[in-house]
Amino acid sequence: MKIKRYPFLIFTLFICTLLFGCWSKKELRDLALIIAVGIDKKDGKYISTFQVVNPGNVAGATQRGGGSTGLPVALYTSTGDTLVEASRKASKQISRIPYYAHTNLVVVGEELAKEGIQQIFDVVERNPQFRPTANIVIARRQTAKQLLSVLTPVDKIPANQMIKTLELTEMMWGENVGTRLREVIESFSLAGKEVIMSSFHVDGNRKHSDDQENVRTMEPTARLRASELAIFKRGKLVGWIGKEEARGVLWILDKIKQTAVTVDWKGEKEALSYKVVRAKTKVTAQLRNGKPIIFVTVETEGDIGETFVAIDFTDPKQIVALEKVMQQEIKAEIEKAVHVAQKKKSDIFGFGEVVHRTYPKEWKKMKKTWDDKYFPKLDIQVKVESFIRRTGLRTRSYIQ
Amino acid sequence: MERARISARQLFMLAILFEHGSAMVIPLGVDAKQDVWLAILCGMVFGGGLLFVYYRLFTYYPNLPFTSYSQRIVGSFFGKVLALIYVLYFLYISARVLRDFGELLLTFAYPETPLFILNAVMMLTVMYAVYKGIEVIARASQLFFFSLYWILMLGFVLIIIAGEIDVRRLQPILEEGWSHIFHVVFTQTLYVPFGELVVFTMIFPYLQREEKVWKAGFLALLLSGINLAMIMGMNVAVLGADIVSRSTFPLLNTIQEIRVANFLERLDVLFMIALIVGGFFKVGVFFYAGVIGVADLFALKEYQRLVYPLGISVLFLSLAIASNFAEHIKEGLRIVTIYMHVPLQMIIPIFLLLIAMVKHQKKERKGR
Amino acid sequence: MWLRLRNQNKQQAYQYDKVAQEGIYGTIERDLHANIEKVRNITGNSADIVIRHFLLGKEDNLLSALCFVSGMVDENMVQQLFIEASVQLSFPSMCCDQLDYIEKKIATANTTRRVKQWNDVFSLLMSGESILFIHGMQEAISIAVKGGEYRAITEPSTQLSIRGPREGFTESLATNVAMVRRRIQHPHVWVEAITVGEVTHTNVRIMYIKGIADDSIVEEVRNRLQRICMDGVLESGYIEQLIEDETFTTFPTIYHTERPDSVAANLLEGRVAIFVEGTPFVLIAPAVFIQFFQAVEDYYARFDIATALRFLRILVFFISLVAPSLYIAATTFHQEMIPTSLVIAIAAQRESVPFPAFVEAVIMEVTFEILREAGVRLPRTVGQAVSIVGALVIGQAAVEAGFVSSVMVIVVSITAIASFATPSFAIAVSARLIRFLLMVLAALFGFYGILIGLIWMTIHLCSLRSFGVPYMTPLAPLIPTNLRDTFVRFPLWALTDRPHGIAEETNIVRQGDEQRPKPNQEMRREGDEN
Repeated sequence: MKIKRYPFLIFTLFICTLLFGCWSKKELRDLALIIAVGIDKKDGKYISTFQVVNPGNVAGATQRGGGSTGLPVALYTSTGDTLVEASRKASKQISRIPYYAHTNLVVVGEELAKEGIQQIFDVVERNPQFRPTANIVIARRQTAKQLLSVLTPVDKIPANQMIKTLELTEMMWGENVGTRLREVIESFSLAGKEVIMSSFHVDGNRKHSDDQENVRTMEPTARLRASELAIFKRGKLVGWIGKEEARGVLWILDKIKQTAVTVDWKGEKEALSYKVVRAKTKVTAQLRNGKPIIFVTVETEGDIGETFVAIDFTDPKQIVALEKVMQQEIKAEIEKAVHVAQKKKSDIFGFGEVVHRTYPKEWKKMKKTWDDKYFPKLDIQVKVESFIRRTGLRTRSYIQ
Repeated sequence: MERARISARQLFMLAILFEHGSAMVIPLGVDAKQDVWLAILCGMVFGGGLLFVYYRLFTYYPNLPFTSYSQRIVGSFFGKVLALIYVLYFLYISARVLRDFGELLLTFAYPETPLFILNAVMMLTVMYAVYKGIEVIARASQLFFFSLYWILMLGFVLIIIAGEIDVRRLQPILEEGWSHIFHVVFTQTLYVPFGELVVFTMIFPYLQREEKVWKAGFLALLLSGINLAMIMGMNVAVLGADIVSRSTFPLLNTIQEIRVANFLERLDVLFMIALIVGGFFKVGVFFYAGVIGVADLFALKEYQRLVYPLGISVLFLSLAIASNFAEHIKEGLRIVTIYMHVPLQMIIPIFLLLIAMVKHQKKERKGR
Repeated sequence: MWLRLRNQNKQQAYQYDKVAQEGIYGTIERDLHANIEKVRNITGNSADIVIRHFLLGKEDNLLSALCFVSGMVDENMVQQLFIEASVQLSFPSMCCDQLDYIEKKIATANTTRRVKQWNDVFSLLMSGESILFIHGMQEAISIAVKGGEYRAITEPSTQLSIRGPREGFTESLATNVAMVRRRIQHPHVWVEAITVGEVTHTNVRIMYIKGIADDSIVEEVRNRLQRICMDGVLESGYIEQLIEDETFTTFPTIYHTERPDSVAANLLEGRVAIFVEGTPFVLIAPAVFIQFFQAVEDYYARFDIATALRFLRILVFFISLVAPSLYIAATTFHQEMIPTSLVIAIAAQRESVPFPAFVEAVIMEVTFEILREAGVRLPRTVGQAVSIVGALVIGQAAVEAGFVSSVMVIVVSITAIASFATPSFAIAVSARLIRFLLMVLAALFGFYGILIGLIWMTIHLCSLRSFGVPYMTPLAPLIPTNLRDTFVRFPLWALTDRPHGIAEETNIVRQGDEQRPKPNQEMRREGDEN
């Protein structure tokens, strides 16, 4: 009979644990879903800006209980010596618990970026709420707060607008790249790799950017726009790289998915567009006389997108000739990018890591002085192979 | 010992779940940096040696658990002392694993919940299972084996599809040389999880067909070694060696990286299933061995009577062994390894085996 | 603990013999009137006991009385019997034993029997036989003219199928047994008779196929049935509850069905069927967990669709088990695990709901359970009204009033539909109970609670047995051969073995080699020629 008592006692204990219940519980209504965080620094204090979603006003959600005229997001700012302090202090203004699990975007002001961003990532890594997949961008020529206080017309939540823009332009054009928090943190630990980040700035008149008026007009007066890539060196912003050079960086990093390359043809400037649909880059290192040499091999495949001159695409020889031109164009872009980076002494391409992987022993000696001694004078051999696979719906253009 | 029979297949699956248990989620052998997979595989090879020792001991006494044959080998008094040490060891380790489990759960999902509550809920589940007996645990292991494998496969496929794996992160191989790897093997990966198979010396005698013990045990060791190596290798390939070595649970971070088709993302629940199911079996097997050991040592007929008091003791022990996570981990790496794992998993079983061999040879000669 | 409680309250032992058999000892007397008086006394002169005096035989020399219970006999046959007994029967002069002669001469009924003990007289009388008392004889003749009205054979109301036989069991034991017998025409289909219930004397039949069913299981079924000692057994549910292995479980360990083809299929797999008088539900033991997800139709349809449907049913079971608790866990503990756009959509809906998610879920689930219970018991015509009110209350009005969010309505409806799609009602009910438990656990610990709940459930399932067979067979313990007919159903020709662990192991193969269809290649018609 005694054994029969145990299930009963276990049951009692179980009920007891139940009675205490509900510690980590948080109702959705009590959460402030922070979709983006902006970080600036002023007078030695961190200024955090929180873009909080106002779920009832996001288009697509059912509009019940009135208030449909409100804005989809709200902005809160708070200062503190540390980021945790700033976040906790924000409770003075927000009626709900700040919740970072859906923070998909971190914006860093340019001033802070120049001062150094290494400090701000500890909290991001330590806090289990933060997702390592969140994107990070730099506010170009502005503070993070100014960037976050722009309302956007199509994607109602500005943070989403920025993330989606970044993803799209990375895929279609390839001058910007989305950088995840994890990549930034990883780069801090690697001696042979520096991080790049995309930046955004506000185009147009910033005066009424946070007003509903901004999204009521067909062409918003203030618009968010992706701009140059920020080059970092040991956690500090050291320079910017844009246009073709930026694309050169992405070529080397093997981040180009699709893009369009415009080339000259027989004296005509910018006469022909080549749509890249597939690209693959390989980076290898070799040691010659104790000095590392980097080989960058790029392979691209694509179609003819547009032409302003008369070319007979039925002729394979023409195609081969065209491919040559493409290769030179892409190679030039890459070399320009390398040049800029070498000037800034920042190994954004991760060449150092390539050397590390292939020559671990030699790397130990180079590690310390890589940035200053080896990288700026690094010999980089670029080889591009472009293929034109198809020419679209027409063989010859009507342009004669 | 209770009157129960389990099949070799059940032993195999139970051992696999046991091996995966907490090893899958904790940063196992990360001191070896990007060579962590190599350290695990080496640990597995040496672990195979240890398993062979346990197996040989079992073949001499196929119907007895460790706590009984230790008395046959070194005499009643010393054998009993030895058995007591082992029983305490099993219970202590089950408390440790329980603590591990509670701490992990607390840090990543339930920061406001008291550790006691999380541990108590888990311990109650374990107690219920142990109360039902080894047959039920073994059967449950078959069900969970498949669910866990499906989840692992799913996670693996998703990570590959998400394109997060960069094999280059695993290079350079052997940056610090073999000596460093062996250092990691003999201070960490050999004992947790492979040497912990010593607990199965209490379970082997339940097997229906004793000749299959070696096959089942060895296959389980092999498969779980390869799996763990793959999991840790994958962690490094996704996150990089540095983040893995600083992370409290690399697998969670890896799973968080999954993002497929803008929809399959935030799959932390996969990690949670792995953590809870694995934790359950690890605590369960250790606790069962401890309970059965006590029952065997004091010749109790109904081991079920012990489940309740011992379960509560383990629960409170799990709270009392360390005041914070850092202390707990430090104890685990230093004290437990040197003063518990090394003698109890390696030295004593090997000595026992040697004595048993000598004894049996004498017997055989006499028999002739 | 239960036992102890019961023992304390127990002041009186069960006195079934006193209650049921007082005063029915002894044998029949010579005097007819005394006998009739005894019958009247014992039955309390019940209105439905018919006692007809008449003179037996052409010669009118034997005063007799026929007793029967009206409504339980076939009126036509009784009529026939009177004609035969009083008009046609004549005694040859040199007969030695008149009683023996009469017994053999009565041709109307299937069986006749001589009875001497009052005990037997009453049990036969109550079971629907007619008793012929003859003046001066110390024995009576019991004549089997059982009959009376039963419900006709109709389509089963619980386990419908699109393809397959349309007949279902009725309340008549003989009809039910015959329906199965008709499907398996083999002498090794053995039927054992047992009477259960000290007052009700309910007839029970154990049916199995000798040589296919495991003898030890048959023996166990027989023993457990014989153990039953209580006033009444009114339905097979009584028996199920009295012979199952574990009472404190929500899972059914005995299968019940209304379909004769299902019983036949189960007998062929080596199981044992238990028929009970007065109910269309036949019990089948041993039952395993996975059996409740299999429908007979799986074997009538081709294997591909059957397999797909089985997967669907298991998925559906899990949905009906965890859907509301997942909602609670995800919205109150693990908001980080929901994709951002979805969490915003859910948050927008929850904005105006005044209750916590758990309360919201409980309100909706309980409302739904009330509606379902109301719908089941109501007459069909009123049932429609309930469904209209239900749809409006649960669906629209609650959402519009801001009581619940529409996501919750979706969750509840999915759960409801899922629980209807589970083929066995018995297992759907257990899912219903566990669902509420999981909801509580989810409200306390989120996913951790759900997982712990599911682990408890799994351990519990693994610890169950049905007549010695582990409940989770063939998954745990794993029996690979049985897996051919578990989650998936292999083509029929690949199901070579009867289920291991249930059927007799020495005779496990159930079909000849090479049952795979092999169309004759010569038979090909060349359609192209035309």
